[in-house]
Amino acid sequence: MMNQVHNAFTLFMSLLVEALPFLLLGVLFSSALLLFVDEKKLISFIPRNPVLGALIGSSIGFLFPVCECGNVPVARRLLMQGASPSVAIGFLLAAPTVNPIVIWSTWTAFRDQPEIVVLRLVFSLAIATIIGSIFSFQKDLTPFVQPMVARAMGQSSGAKSWDAPIKKDLSSDSENFSPLLQSGTFLLGTPGSPQRLDATTMETMLLASKAGNLGGAGAAIPGDRLFSQRLRLFVENVLAELRELGGVLVFGSAIAAIIQVAAPRDLIISLGQGPVTSILAMLVLGAVVSICSTVDAFFALSFAATFTTGSLLAFLVFGPMIDIKSIGLMMSIFKPKPLVYLFLISGQLTFLLALAYNLKFS
Amino acid sequence: MAVQSPKLFRFSTWGPWIEVLAVFAWGVLLLKYWVSGELNILIHPNFFALTNGTGVFLILLACYKGAQLLHQQWRSRRVRNRGTRTATAATDHITLFPPGWSATILLVTALLGFLISPRVFASDKAMMRNVNDFLPVTQSQPQAFRTARKPEERSLIDWVRTLTVYPEPDAYTGQQVNVQGFVIHLPDLPEEYFLISRFVITCCAADAYPVGLPVKLSQSRSAYPPDTWLEIQGEMSTEVLGDQRQLTIVANSIQEIPEPRNPYEY
Repeated sequence: MMNQVHNAFTLFMSLLVEALPFLLLGVLFSSALLLFVDEKKLISFIPRNPVLGALIGSSIGFLFPVCECGNVPVARRLLMQGASPSVAIGFLLAAPTVNPIVIWSTWTAFRDQPEIVVLRLVFSLAIATIIGSIFSFQKDLTPFVQPMVARAMGQSSGAKSWDAPIKKDLSSDSENFSPLLQSGTFLLGTPGSPQRLDATTMETMLLASKAGNLGGAGAAIPGDRLFSQRLRLFVENVLAELRELGGVLVFGSAIAAIIQVAAPRDLIISLGQGPVTSILAMLVLGAVVSICSTVDAFFALSFAATFTTGSLLAFLVFGPMIDIKSIGLMMSIFKPKPLVYLFLISGQLTFLLALAYNLKFS
Repeated sequence: MAVQSPKLFRFSTWGPWIEVLAVFAWGVLLLKYWVSGELNILIHPNFFALTNGTGVFLILLACYKGAQLLHQQWRSRRVRNRGTRTATAATDHITLFPPGWSATILLVTALLGFLISPRVFASDKAMMRNVNDFLPVTQSQPQAFRTARKPEERSLIDWVRTLTVYPEPDAYTGQQVNVQGFVIHLPDLPEEYFLISRFVITCCAADAYPVGLPVKLSQSRSAYPPDTWLEIQGEMSTEVLGDQRQLTIVANSIQEIPEPRNPYEY
């Protein structure tokens, strides 16, 4: 019994130690690129055709190597700045998987099964493009999204599109000052807030600094001060994401280790070998274990010996799209009904693709 | 929706320090695993550089943030009443954990890591398989397979890979063997056989799987209890175990060896 616990702990630690570098890398990228990529410009390059738009939206993840927590704020900004629904939804669903860091970590975990790496990409792109195209039939997204996003979308179709997010951010800022800040420090993040996976901090500063460059309101900030502020924002954002995602990673690794050691082997094998049951089990696991997409390959790895390849794929494709954590985050964009659609359609598509793989190749 | 609780424990006061400590502790833990060699037990050596870099970065990050916090506290004492506010974050996320939990969880995990050292997997983890399960190394590519090697220089994993490529046991009959590994007593093997075995990892301990070859003794296996590390010299032959023909080492000399610093093979 003690041995079992010790084995589980070793497994748990090995998952953490292997995953942390990738998590850190993802966090660093998502924090850095927020400073450098101008979504507005990006949107203007995207073709109008809904299917093409969805495909390109799905591929933007290469520019924003974010996991499923970083992509929600970006998708929201895309929507608010006038991206078409198919682009935003394509991005929302595919970006956590279709990005260089995730590909690297998946490759690290499944060096010996390159088909998993490739199919993870292909399936995610396909599903995101299909769902993006489906949503493009809804010309007016207003009834689907949260009122705040809808307002910003309305404004962005007008001329002064940059103002919309600024106004939104500043107005909500004023309601939420932490006591620490009111004591007159230059603290730019709010340690009192639950988390800042969202880059609102960065966003506000970014916009302010851009305004500064143009000689606008932010011009009062001198250059070196600006740099040190950006550095602080960067560090704040890195720490906040690291803390929050690290916590989730610890939980995910613990669950993986416990299942590995404690679950009866007969049950695991009978579940894991069935072409249908294995996929269903991994879909549920993917939705429950909200582990970050940059590191979920390592989680899946611990099931590689007992579960069908299709079911591992299902986990790797569906988990980053929809899980408990990302549903929470997506509520900041969508109302419940479209979320249910997203959940059901992506779940079904993943199931079908994974099943097709299982039946064809194993 | 920054929730400020009026309780004794205010995340806004302690949270940042817990966070700094947690990040620092993880940085130190990663480096400690490397220095103590325990990293060998956890992950494949290919990724050592990655973890070490992460360790160093985390320590630097914690130092930077710690210094910044100290500076702020010092400052806020000086300018208590002059309220200069800068633009700051409003957060409207929904989090999985209440504020402060994540950092605390991370800190506790790191401390556990310092207290409990990881354990090399042993026969109890390998036991839940059959003899045949030890042979096919489907996860490994034959490219690692070096035919040029003399039989007596092959490690256990080399043997298993060779067998995967060309599984006919008779092809190896009479070849010299010299391998190291630990003992597994499989219940479905007769009394004078045990399995000499090693774990192979491709990424981290999560994918550790055992490979092994049966060893034929001239006496009962009880002289070699499970998990003893042995160096075995002998000759290959084919035995029928269960209802399968199986490549088996007929041992000439068996020597106990200390557990290697790096117990896995790759």
